[in-house]
Amino acid sequence: MTAEPILSLRGLSVDFRLPEGTLRAVDDVSFDVRPGEVLGIVGESGSGKSQILFALMGLLARNGTASGAALFRGRNLIGLPAAELDAIRGASLSMIFQDPMTSLNPFQRVGDQLAEGLIAHRGMTRAAAREAAVAMLDRVRIPDAAARARRYPHEFSGGMRQRVMIAMALLARPALLLADEPTTALDVTIQAQVLDLIAELSRETGTSVILVTHDLGVVARLCDRVIVLYGGRVMEEGPAEAVFDAPRHPYAQGLLAATPRMADALTPRLGTIPGTPRSGGAMLPGCPFAPRCAVRVEACTLARPPLVGDGRRVACHLAGVPA
Amino acid sequence: MLRFIGKRLWDGGLTLAALVVLTFFMMRLAPGGPFSKNRKISPEVLANIQAKYHLDEPVWQQFARYVRGLLVGDLGPSMRFRDYSVNDIIASGLPYSLTIGFWAIAVAALVGVALGIAGALRRNTATDYIAGTVGVIGIAVPIFVIGPLAQAVFALRLDWVPVGGIEGGWRALVLPVLVLALPNIAYISRLTRTSMIETLRENYVRTARAKGIGETRVILRHTLTGTLLPVIAYLGPATAAIITGSILIETIFAVPGIGRHFVDAALNRDYPLVMGITILYGGLVILFNVLTDLLRGWLDPRVRHE
Amino acid sequence: MSDASLPSAAAPARGLSTLRLQFARFARNRLAMASVAVLMLIVLACFLGPFLFPFTGEDADFDYILAPIDFTSPHLFGTDDYGRDLLVRTLEGGRVSLTIGFLGALVAGVIGVLYGAVAGYAGGRTDGLMMRFVEILYGFPYVILVILLSLVLGGGNLALFAAIVFTLWLTPAVIVRAQAQSLARREFVEAARAGGMTGWQIVLTHIVPNCVSVVIVYGSLLVPEVILSESFLSFLGIGIKEPQASWGNLIQAGTAAMETDLRLLLLPGTMLATVLFCLNFIADGLRDAFDPNDR
Repeated sequence: MTAEPILSLRGLSVDFRLPEGTLRAVDDVSFDVRPGEVLGIVGESGSGKSQILFALMGLLARNGTASGAALFRGRNLIGLPAAELDAIRGASLSMIFQDPMTSLNPFQRVGDQLAEGLIAHRGMTRAAAREAAVAMLDRVRIPDAAARARRYPHEFSGGMRQRVMIAMALLARPALLLADEPTTALDVTIQAQVLDLIAELSRETGTSVILVTHDLGVVARLCDRVIVLYGGRVMEEGPAEAVFDAPRHPYAQGLLAATPRMADALTPRLGTIPGTPRSGGAMLPGCPFAPRCAVRVEACTLARPPLVGDGRRVACHLAGVPA
Repeated sequence: MLRFIGKRLWDGGLTLAALVVLTFFMMRLAPGGPFSKNRKISPEVLANIQAKYHLDEPVWQQFARYVRGLLVGDLGPSMRFRDYSVNDIIASGLPYSLTIGFWAIAVAALVGVALGIAGALRRNTATDYIAGTVGVIGIAVPIFVIGPLAQAVFALRLDWVPVGGIEGGWRALVLPVLVLALPNIAYISRLTRTSMIETLRENYVRTARAKGIGETRVILRHTLTGTLLPVIAYLGPATAAIITGSILIETIFAVPGIGRHFVDAALNRDYPLVMGITILYGGLVILFNVLTDLLRGWLDPRVRHE
Repeated sequence: MSDASLPSAAAPARGLSTLRLQFARFARNRLAMASVAVLMLIVLACFLGPFLFPFTGEDADFDYILAPIDFTSPHLFGTDDYGRDLLVRTLEGGRVSLTIGFLGALVAGVIGVLYGAVAGYAGGRTDGLMMRFVEILYGFPYVILVILLSLVLGGGNLALFAAIVFTLWLTPAVIVRAQAQSLARREFVEAARAGGMTGWQIVLTHIVPNCVSVVIVYGSLLVPEVILSESFLSFLGIGIKEPQASWGNLIQAGTAAMETDLRLLLLPGTMLATVLFCLNFIADGLRDAFDPNDR
């Protein structure tokens, strides 16, 4: 448990140049990922969580810039030129994306898309790579894998396409897998299967996972640790169970209160957090959550609360103060 | 796949049939004839002419006769050039038109796609702006302005190529082909550029990058098909545009191709010739549309499995 | 989320209607606005300019046959081989070409929009039939169709106008049909139907107005197309015939004299090219303003 972290983010920020000005989508985010752990990043739409992953993979949009450090196996991914990044991504660092329907090349056979990475990174022959691809498809439980590998993506259902993506990402046995809302676009019944698959495979290969989602249920099911993001900043961080049992940040508390649970079946009203998330939140002075916070005090709008703690961290002026 | 091909051929055949019917009856409806321009003809001569061209038969019979002729490839006699049949006239002009048309499409496609891809990859740089300028000029300035201007500069002043006509081997073809290709270069390059920019935004290109296979492979393997599909789709209508343009080109550069014959026939109301050339052109366009559809089906598996 | 920017941080809170916002965006496009200005200048010149001269484009001035450009003479840009003033003839030709252009685009646009709206809204076999007809017409190379039509209709100027319009309504029809198809599925159309509106009423009051931005964007390209059609038909001798001037036949006359005197070609040619450039930039500007996905 005290092993060297596989990924260390220190002060990662992502800015976007818009006609109206600069938008800071990710603000000074720092955390570690340990080998073999599944880390969840939770937040609402627009909280910047996906951009963290894109920044690590060098996939930011043309008007986006990342600053800070992301040490992956000793190298800083931020600012690394694309050619050097290419040796890492698809090999020791992989990503799966949110929308399986559009994330596969419609003009290429599925097996070839899987084999491509192996040919590029390991120099395997086409035949060997294809065999490995079929084996992997089988591993992610695509029925009739050998025949399916010769088909095209539009012949697969959404859930199966996501399995293909998972197969593609894990084929090269990466040390770290980045998953951007992998089940959001899928049917509820399929979601559980896909998540379990990710958990199972990552355990088997020892791959660490960063799982970005807005669905607390997903986090509860899968994650060892969780980070709560709002307005591009980390609000709370800690072991998933601890954070769920007793969230310390008002936003985290609000999120959990807003999640309907079986035990609350008799409660007539759902808790809500008033207001709407503002994507420019990271640019206000003070805590980005202050405008919607039920317990805010004056200090909250003036000074950014720092992330304090060890193993369990919170960014709130009132943390530790009994409600 | 076979069903796809079959369906396309069937559709093409139907369209061609509709084309023949429409053209035939349009010509019958058109007022005047080559004879109304000439001096008054005596009734006996008129009767003879009517008999020769079967104009005294009921329309349906004339149509049936025409279709029978078509099926054996006989487009009938020309009304104006009494000694020649439509087939003869077309045969004499077709090689010129086909040569110029073919080269124009080839140049337009190759140069257009190259410019478009260069512009998309080097957005907002000098390359892009140059390509864009060529684009605007080609689309906005009409062929019949560029053509004579090109003649004035390159042929009359600089004497690099002949002014027109077909003497002089391949040099005589240079200006007609280039001028004819220009508007299509412009359009194809714009289309390619937009298409490539859109394809670069696709999620599956992002996935390809995430695999770390290198930018070159990403561009070559994952963007070309998506980029070229709309361009290929345009090649069908592009043929029609080339045909349109070739009529102007042949007039400007004095090439005795079928475009010129068509204009003359129209001005002189030589209906069989007008019809014959119309059907020929229409058939070419339909053929090209079918071919490009088939090509798209080959490249895009989603289309095949409809 | 694969691309460009996150949702804009600054939402316009001023409650402007979409149309006004779009026109405001158009106004910011300097190239488009410059084109509008140039175009208006040319329109004014063509329609009002000839009145400034004591002669018309058809008056032959035997003192000045094939005169060159000479700003001191009464014929600023010289004359042609009949002694007719080139500038006035060009301006008068502009009247013809521009009128046919705008009028023709308007008529072709209206026909196309109605046809497309009906086809898209009706759907099913009606749509299939209507579109099959469009496909067949599309199969004709453009110039063939126009020439055929103008022959069938008698060959005069009206026939020319009708022929051009009849070939150009196809593209607006196809575009509006696609738009109408997606609109027809929307709830407010269902509501209108439930409220008892007839098909025609729905098409005219709901479908057509909602296609406005699409029509503006693609319709603006119609004007240069009509002008171009008329010009090259006149160039070929099938359109506007001498002695009436149109840019097309002026250019044709210009090419005949090309070896000795480029001026006869350049004046109408430049005017035509300028008008077409302006129209293209305006159309581009409209497209950027009304369809921001196209960046």
